Formats: sequence, C-alpha cells, structure tokens
Amino acid sequence: MTGISGARGPKLTQTTAVLAMCAVLIVVFSIFLKGFLTLGNLFALARNISILGILALGMAVVVIGRGLDLSQVASFAASTAIAIILMNSGYATPVALLIGFVMAIAIGILNGFLISVIEMPPLLTTLASSLAVLGIVRTTAVQHYVVYLSKGHDEFLRLGGNIWGGVPISILIFAATALVVHLFLSRTVIGRFVYAHGDNPDAARQTGLPTRPLTMIEYALCAAIGYVGGVVMVAQTALMHLQVAESTIIFDVIMVVVLGGVSLVGGRGNVMSVIAGTLLIGVLLNGMTIMDMDVQTQNIVKGIVLLIAILLDSRLHPRDEETSKQGD
Amino acid sequence: MTKAVHRKALAGFGLAAIVATAVLVTVPSQAAGPRDQLREKFDKALKGKTVAWSPVWMGVLESEWTRVMKDRFDDYGIKLVTRDANMKSDIQLQTVSDYINEKPDVLVVQNPNVTLLAKELKRAMDAGIYVVQVNMASNTLSDAYVGVDAKDLGTKIAREVINQCGGGKGSGEIAILEGEATAAYSLDMKNGAMEVFKTDPSIKVVSSQPTSWDANKAGDITTTVLQQHPKLCGILSVWGPQTAGAAQAIKAANMGDKVKVFVASDGQPADCDLLEQGAFSANLSYRADVQGQTIADAVIALLQSGDKPGSKNVAYYTTPAWVKSKDDRMYCFSIPKGAK
Repeated sequence: MTGISGARGPKLTQTTAVLAMCAVLIVVFSIFLKGFLTLGNLFALARNISILGILALGMAVVVIGRGLDLSQVASFAASTAIAIILMNSGYATPVALLIGFVMAIAIGILNGFLISVIEMPPLLTTLASSLAVLGIVRTTAVQHYVVYLSKGHDEFLRLGGNIWGGVPISILIFAATALVVHLFLSRTVIGRFVYAHGDNPDAARQTGLPTRPLTMIEYALCAAIGYVGGVVMVAQTALMHLQVAESTIIFDVIMVVVLGGVSLVGGRGNVMSVIAGTLLIGVLLNGMTIMDMDVQTQNIVKGIVLLIAILLDSRLHPRDEETSKQGD
Repeated sequence: MTKAVHRKALAGFGLAAIVATAVLVTVPSQAAGPRDQLREKFDKALKGKTVAWSPVWMGVLESEWTRVMKDRFDDYGIKLVTRDANMKSDIQLQTVSDYINEKPDVLVVQNPNVTLLAKELKRAMDAGIYVVQVNMASNTLSDAYVGVDAKDLGTKIAREVINQCGGGKGSGEIAILEGEATAAYSLDMKNGAMEVFKTDPSIKVVSSQPTSWDANKAGDITTTVLQQHPKLCGILSVWGPQTAGAAQAIKAANMGDKVKVFVASDGQPADCDLLEQGAFSANLSYRADVQGQTIADAVIALLQSGDKPGSKNVAYYTTPAWVKSKDDRMYCFSIPKGAK
C-alpha cells in the first residue's frame, strides 16, 4: 500500500509529472499571454478552479477506495436546490444548509448501501441514482430547472466573493477542504482503511476490515464534499441550475482526479494528486479563455490532456486481474 | 261602411300582428344565426382535436408557454399532449416521430437547432398534420412560425451597447457570452450583434465565449475576462440565467459600477428582479405568456383554415421590449398564483 506517497515502482509519479506539465504551461503562458502572470489573473484562476477542486477531493476518496460516483453532481445540485428553496421560504441559512447537507449524505449512504450490501456495480448504480435523485427532486420540490436565491442573503453570498484585496473565499474553502481530506486520508484509521480497501478489496475484507460500512462512508464523504462545492457554486452565482447535473462537469471531475494520479485501480494517489490535476486543468482553461479560443478547440485540448492522463495511468499502474479498473 | 271600415281595421291589425310576429320571430333568428353558426363552425373545427407539443425542455419559458396553451385549449375542447425532451436531441427526435405516428391534428415544436427536426417536420405535413414552430425556425418551413427573430434581437441589443459603450461614452470594450456554440438561437443573435458592431470602429469585442447556458461557467469566464480587460465597458449575453452568474462575478470583483450587463431574455420574472437589483443594466425582453397566446392563436387559425398542411408559411414575430427600470416590469411575465 503506497497510496500516501502516490508512487509505486518508478520514481516519476504521475503527480510530479502533472505538476511539471503545469509548470511548463505557466511559463509558456506567462511569456506569450499578456496579463496571464498578474496577481488578479491568478486570483481569477483560483476562483475558477476551486469548485472543480472541491468536487474532485470528494471523488478522490471514492476512487481511492476503488469506486466511482457518477451521482456526485446530481446529489449536490439536488441538495443545494432544496437548501435554496428552504432559505427562500424563511428558514435560517444555517438550518437550510444543514438540511441540504444531511440530504447529500443520505444519498451517499444509499449509494454505498446499494454498492456494498446489494453488491451492485458502482458505475451503473451511481448513474441510475443520479437520474433518480434528479427526477424525484424535480417532480416534488423544484418546479423549474433554475432555482434562484431570493433577495436578502448577502451574508451567505459573501462566501462567493473576495477578501483581503481580491483573494477569492472559494479558494480558501478549497484549501480548508483539501487539508481536512488530507488529514482524514493520511492520519486517521478510517483513512488508511480506505487505501487498504481500494488496494485490494478481497484482502481488506478477509483481514477483517468492515468493508461494507467503509464503502458507505466513502460515498457519503464524496457526496458531502460535493455538497460543499455546490454551496460555493450557489454563493458565486446566487442560483442553482439543475441542468448542471446533466452537463459534462462530472467528467471534468473524474478527469482532474485521474489526471493527478488517483488511479482508477484504487488505493493510489492523495490530496496532492487532486491539487495537481486541478491546477493543470485550471491553468489550461484560464489560458484558453484569455486566448478567446473557440469551444471546439478547447474540447480538443481537454480531450488530448485526458488521453495523456489515461496513458500515464496505464503505464504507471498496469492492469491485471487483481487491479481491474472501474469502467473497464 | 262601418262594417267595411271595421273589417279593414281588423285586417290591418291582423296584418300588423302577422308582420310583428314575423319580425319578432325572424329578426332575432336572423341576428343569431350567423353568430351561432360561427361558434358552431369554431367548435366543429376545434373540439376533440389534439395538439402534440414537443419542447426542447421544460424550463421557465416553456412551462409558461405550456400553461397558457393548455389554459386556452382546455376552454375550446382541444387536447394538449406534452413530452419533455429534457434537452436531449435523440429523445426529442424520437418524440416527434412518435407524435407523427399518433397522428395529432397539430404538431407544435421548439427546435433545438435548424436541422434536427427538419425532415420530420416535412414528414408530418405530408401526413396531414399542421406544424407550428416556436422561437427558432428550422430549415423546413412549416405552416406557422411563432417567436423571436434572434438576429433582429442581436441587432437591437448591439445598438443599445453602442449607445452606452461606444463613441467615447465608454471604453468600447465588449465581451459576448454566447449560449451553446451550436445553437442557432445564440449564433443568430451573435451574428446580428457582430454586424452592427462592425459598423462602429469604437467597439472592440475582446472575448466571445460559449457558456453552455451555465451560470457558473459564465461567472468563470467573466472573472477571467474582467482581469484581462479592466476597462471592459459591457457584457452582451443571450439568456437571463447564465447572465445572473456573470453579474455575480462582476459584483464579486467590485466592478458593478463600471461594467454594464446587456441581456436578451425570455421575460422570466427573475430577469426583472435582477434588473431591479442593479445586476443587469438593460434587458431586451419578450413575454412568454404573450407568445403562448400567439402559439394558441396560430393553432386555432390553422385548424379553422381548411388549408392543406404545408401549403402556406405564416410567421408571427414577437416584438421584444426594453426593460431598463422598475417601470418596465410588465415586460416580464408573472406566473399566476396557483398555476401549475
């Protein structure tokens, strides 16, 4: 189990490779793109990557445990939409946010239950649960796809703003979440169990690890951290557009996770991997926006980067029967 | 003599009575006849008819169209069938194909782009079904088109941008937030705007990026663009909800006083709220409830026309109006209480 170092065998880890790529890009953009290397732009970059980064932290917990959660975005979209509706109808902001939080965790536990106890495959289970969650919320509580936060929640909206001369609060939330997830994965017993679970689920079960509750904890954490990202998203836009659940954002999240070196094999990678992946995507997106690149070219670049990440993942963590990957 | 006079008088009275009776009987029936016949003809043309409606998705705009259509159709005994494609092209294509097989009397479609439904719409008209297209015309012309002229919308909004940002009144630096890169609605609007911008050398479009109709992405793009172009005068955007994200990003950057937000949108209540809060500077708005009435009118006209489906192409273009202050609230629709 070499998850904390993120390396097995070769000295060059995927995380360091991605960080190196990122450094090269930053240098190239700084030379060729006017206005890239300014404090203001770096803050803008930080603001733009923080939600993706937070979501990727949650996903990393599940992927390290050799799972995959395609319902993360649907889960945060549905629970934040409910929280907004409660806030609009007069509930105190912390109470409304807490109810949304509990709902997100419940969705995560349900996913974990279906996967570990009923033994359904994670890919299909979470794909189906995302549709179910969205459908139920849409038919019962949310009349339209766009739920606006009504006037008078300035305190809450400040979460989406800046402090200290331009530092986006969202990046501080990302940093805090990263620290908590890092401490959880590296310093707690359950965190170590998650690595063991992902590294070899059968061995983990046979040595007496409670793999079923563990799976539920992994998925609950993924949903809970995703909810934090959702709350930041609401604070930044003052609305929740439920269609986000059907956008490609979930693939961006998985791309960030895999890119940084949290292998789909399970048991590998750490918070640093997520930060590296997020940073690379953030720098790329920022550069492409400054260049005013059209969306097709942006997609080509993103696709090539993802292919390189999967290639690296395959080279560094080859497949065999024991390490069959999610999505294989 | 007296007898004769008496008889004459009696005959006179009799005649008068007959005339009076005839008048009493015939005059009202002559007046009511055509009116009754009109209603009879109307009912005969409309009652028991089926309208199949295929929206791109059931957003705020589409829900309002549906609400108004259903309200009117219920009153006339027309059945409305609705299937939400939820932004999925394959599902919408399948829905329209199924509708054609079910043979409704009228097919109402909202095209996601100019080509997806083009062949099916022709097939529908060949099968004897009237076709009404809403808010974006496809490459196949049909019996009626109801909606905005997106290019004209772009032209109008660009003129307003020039008024406030061009010719020395502002820096002239403009960013455009498109919707979907492939959606003709936002492309047409952008093309209309660009044609106007090209005529004014003081205007410089520094960025034009698609947001995928996503508020969060619009916010991200705006944050980056504001950093690169601190002198940015205005943002031209094609839909309210995505623009809300951009407006929040401007607020977070404390640039609300400098950067004006121009939007063309469908008159949803939140658009007017955001304008009144100062998040939007000007909103070129069309009212979905009025459009819903027009769709219903187009359907009613077709059902009574007796024309062969596909034989004529009538357009009902929506006239948008500027919402610039609280006084223009009537150009955003409001959803009646208790409406489903």
